[in-house]
Amino acid sequence: MTDVLRLEGISKRFGGVVAVEEFSLTQGRDAITGIIGPNGAGKTTVFNLATGVYPLDSGRVFFGDREITRLPPHRRTDLGIARTFQNIRLFRNLDVLDNLKVAHDMKVRYTLWEEMLRLPRVRREERKIHEQALHYLDYLQLTRYAEARPANLPYGIQRRLELARALMTEPRLLLLDEPAAGLNPQEVRTLMDTIRKVREDHRLSVIVVEHHMELIMNICSHIHVLDFGKKIAEGRPEEIKKNEAVLQAYLGDEG
Amino acid sequence: MFWLKVLEITSLYTILVLGIYLMTGLTGLFSLGQGGFVSIGAYTAAIAFVRFGFPFPLALVAAVAMGAVLGLLIGIPTLRLRRDYFLLVTFGFGEMIRAALLYLSQLTGGAMGMAGMPRRAGLPLILVSIAVITFITYSLKRSRFGRKCVAIRDDELAASIMGVNVFAQKIMVFVISSAITAYGGALYAFNILFIEPNLFNWLESGKLIIITFVGGLNSIAGVIAASAIYYSFGEFFRFIDVWRDVLLALVVILVIIFRPGGLFQGLELLPRRLKAQRKVR
Repeated sequence: MTDVLRLEGISKRFGGVVAVEEFSLTQGRDAITGIIGPNGAGKTTVFNLATGVYPLDSGRVFFGDREITRLPPHRRTDLGIARTFQNIRLFRNLDVLDNLKVAHDMKVRYTLWEEMLRLPRVRREERKIHEQALHYLDYLQLTRYAEARPANLPYGIQRRLELARALMTEPRLLLLDEPAAGLNPQEVRTLMDTIRKVREDHRLSVIVVEHHMELIMNICSHIHVLDFGKKIAEGRPEEIKKNEAVLQAYLGDEG
Repeated sequence: MFWLKVLEITSLYTILVLGIYLMTGLTGLFSLGQGGFVSIGAYTAAIAFVRFGFPFPLALVAAVAMGAVLGLLIGIPTLRLRRDYFLLVTFGFGEMIRAALLYLSQLTGGAMGMAGMPRRAGLPLILVSIAVITFITYSLKRSRFGRKCVAIRDDELAASIMGVNVFAQKIMVFVISSAITAYGGALYAFNILFIEPNLFNWLESGKLIIITFVGGLNSIAGVIAASAIYYSFGEFFRFIDVWRDVLLALVVILVIIFRPGGLFQGLELLPRRLKAQRKVR
């Protein structure tokens, strides 16, 4: 009951390549968990399996008490799983506001017929969703970009925009896929504060896939280490820092 | 008189172009079978009226319903496929309809075509139809429906992760587009008064797609303008024959190179919006 997400021995192969093997994870209600590992270790695949992008080869996925192993991605989002992408995937033909609104459209209540005729309820609900989008833009200091196209914005802003879009789905669990990639040290520090703030303000559970050690060690209470699709270690940041297998696989000989 | 005729024909085709706007313009789905839906609409209305004695309004309703139902039947098995396969299957569907209309000659008159419809779809009805369809299309474009369409066109995976039921949305888009297209076909039958199976082949479907691109994927106004220009141009310049197509091809190439967003880019012709849009640009 207190767990938000539970992955039970999930596995995925692509052709002959094992991407993820027998990975398990239990995510508490307001935990921040980190998943680290060298390139190609299967971190993003774990996210793709949790969000339903690929079907599992084996294993089960639970969200709260509910098994969601076979649910399509949009149903999982509706239940409360949101994510950002490693290689930013904003909608380039929608302006910033509409990028956010799309993520909230599953909660909008009007029928197709009302929409065709633009009846009063449509106007009302559109005003509401507009307010909501403005709220999240304001919350992440993005208000002045409201009318811009995402492609014209700096990289760091695009990352923050993806976070705002994920929040628009009103999630209980937030999956961040390399949120610090491409950010400068100053931006990374801001990001750490933002993640903490977002979690507290929205009582969210967060899982972060990341290469950036400082970020992971700073904000995560629990860390899983993947190598070649297998979990090689798991524990609190201090434990991970000292773990032999991790030092070898992840940090190399210099560790 | 000639002007009136040109205006009628141009307006009829504009309905067809509007029909595919939601599908091709907003959602980025390419169907080479829309010519088939024009024929479906034309023949359904004509057969309902001539053979079964439906009153004209009911014949129109029958055409729209037939277009929607067939859209659903074709959409369910094909819209899960990749877009290129969807294009191929709809191409096959359009040609299949052509063949079916030829062979079901007892109902359709086969290669002889069908006549005997009275002239019920005059210019006023066509123009009112354009106004209504434009209003509906624009209403959909500016709210939830339109956002989902563009999100799907841009990135299907991201759309589904943001809670969009991609498959259901594509089905809805295809059904609505097919229904509008069939309606346009029905008006055609009651304006031109003669229909035959070869009127709308896949080339006609392709032209609708090209006009949508030239007008601008994000602009209903642009699509209407491009359609009006192309089809009236076609009537005025009949004397240069095949050179029409050469000229069109040239224009298309120039537009794609110099204005890849289409003639109108994202511009909609609304008095209220014009000012705001000028500011953004």
